[in-house]
Amino acid sequence: MPYIVSVILNILTSGVPCILLALGIFITYRLLDFADLTAEGSFLVGGCLALSLIKLGVNPYLSTLVALIGGGLCGYLTSVFYTKLKIPKLLCGIITMTLATSLALIIMGFTRADEPFTNLVSLGIKDQTIYSVFYFGEKMYQPLIKTVIMVVIVFIVMVAIYYFFGTEYGMAIRATGLNERMGKAQGINTKRANITALVISNALIGLAGAMYCQDLRSVDVKTSTGFLVVGLASILIGEAIFGKRSFKNKLISISLGSILYFTIITVSIELGFPSELKNMLYAILIALALSIPLVQSAINTYKKKRKVEHYA
Amino acid sequence: MLSLRNICKTFNMTGAKEDERVALDHINLDIEPGEFVTIIGGNGSGKSTTLNVVAGSITPDSGDILLNGESILKLKEYQRASYFGRVFQDPMMGTSGDMSVLENLEIAYRRGRVHSPFVWGFKKENKEDFIRELKRFDLGLEDRLNQKVGVMSGGQRQALTLLMATMRNKPTHKMVRRDYIKFSEKDKSLAAKEFDDVYEPAKKEYKEKCKVIKSDKNLTFEQKKQQIADIYDEFDKKVRQFDLTKQILLLDEHTAALDPKTAKKVLELTDKIVKENQMTTLMVTHNMKDALTYGNRLIMFNQGHIVLDVKGEEKKKLTVEDLLKKFDVQI
Repeated sequence: MPYIVSVILNILTSGVPCILLALGIFITYRLLDFADLTAEGSFLVGGCLALSLIKLGVNPYLSTLVALIGGGLCGYLTSVFYTKLKIPKLLCGIITMTLATSLALIIMGFTRADEPFTNLVSLGIKDQTIYSVFYFGEKMYQPLIKTVIMVVIVFIVMVAIYYFFGTEYGMAIRATGLNERMGKAQGINTKRANITALVISNALIGLAGAMYCQDLRSVDVKTSTGFLVVGLASILIGEAIFGKRSFKNKLISISLGSILYFTIITVSIELGFPSELKNMLYAILIALALSIPLVQSAINTYKKKRKVEHYA
Repeated sequence: MLSLRNICKTFNMTGAKEDERVALDHINLDIEPGEFVTIIGGNGSGKSTTLNVVAGSITPDSGDILLNGESILKLKEYQRASYFGRVFQDPMMGTSGDMSVLENLEIAYRRGRVHSPFVWGFKKENKEDFIRELKRFDLGLEDRLNQKVGVMSGGQRQALTLLMATMRNKPTHKMVRRDYIKFSEKDKSLAAKEFDDVYEPAKKEYKEKCKVIKSDKNLTFEQKKQQIADIYDEFDKKVRQFDLTKQILLLDEHTAALDPKTAKKVLELTDKIVKENQMTTLMVTHNMKDALTYGNRLIMFNQGHIVLDVKGEEKKKLTVEDLLKKFDVQI
């Protein structure tokens, strides 16, 4: 397989699962206006659940479904902290995220007979993932098949999200996030709306974790570190470059943003940027993405000025 | 009828007596259906608190709120939304800025109803209704349904909020029955029987008539549709006579943040909507002239007490000077 194709497939296999992560963060961060730090926790729990269950011999698709539910439960926990215990939004996520690290150790511990906890699970050659179930023919086509499966899953989820947030209840959730006071005055149960959105968001992130870790075929406690930033950067880059006119437009922008983000990272590393300094690259990217609107407005004023001069 | 019974509310109950601020002190108030009440009073006199207590944003320390004789004190704010339409002082408060006019109206249309996660939120027939309503109020918004509310002026947002607070889908027959049993002063089982005695035969009759029309081969599809709609209206009317849930409009200084010209326009619009729908309305205002011009009852608050309560003819004779005198005496 040509070098360029393998690089593209490499980008897609990391980028496509992270679309789900970015969409999950988008639901809380943009729609609900809830800076939810649970994301890394539910990502980790999703990955651990999927791989541990597969290691124990459960069907990979069933394991992935359980990972999705596990992520959702993390979100539910955060929402309970917020709605019932009235803890500030930011801290709710931090609590769940901290808890998730220990939860992951316990979950992964089930795969070992000799120890109660362990911080690493990696799949053997015989263990099937949701991708390897469909591996036919020559080995060189495997990344391609993997990418196709990922794209199909993400596409289905995206259509489901688009439909849900267009229904009566989805609309009520969006209204709650934008203006809670108005939501209450219009008879929306804002507590339940918050809970639903958090559960959906973290279920998506759990699914993303399961898909990402099955691609790696291994997971440890540190796998999820930095993924909150990845999701946020995808949203910011996507919205800045591809626009945010309507809900559909936003969903597509975020997906493209996620792919673009991984393209930049992968290409920089391929070009010789030391991969140990990845975090520096992340920081630079986010700073750039956040400054895009400023640059755009500067360009616009410059264009206007040119126009005025032209007519003068 | 909306009644407040011995409502008390004190803010800053931290323990230190000097920090406490009594907002409402044993307020008793009865508001008859169809009354348009204007409420005036100084800052911190308790007028906005009264509205918030009624709507459920603030829980009173003691007392009871009755709607048609039934206590609604235990209902949460969002549950009370099916009986109260609200407009706030801040134009940003009543609408969702990042959503389009259409989306805002769709949400308002379902106020106090179940928001189903399985039903698509945009309906064609609703859209036609909205356009008709918007045209009636002459806001110039009917062509801007897909525009985001955030880009509109404060006056337009406030007018839209007003429309959202007054416009609502008719309650379903099931809801009519529920509220009739709850709010009619009769015995519960008697009320249920009374409703069913009218409802069941009417429903049967409607269904039979429909069958006859559907099997009639001489009629075109359009004619059939028309006739069935007519029969349904007749049936609907019979059920609607039991409808006790008249909407109550709560306006909390809704023109205070607008410039005088826009404020006047919004107030006139308010008056028009209230008169057309014969809505029970509570309007808090700082402007004494407005308080005298609009409405048929005037209430003045001072330090948590009602100090003036005039209705009808007596209110018409009142002047701004009279009110100012009253104000001076208090302060």
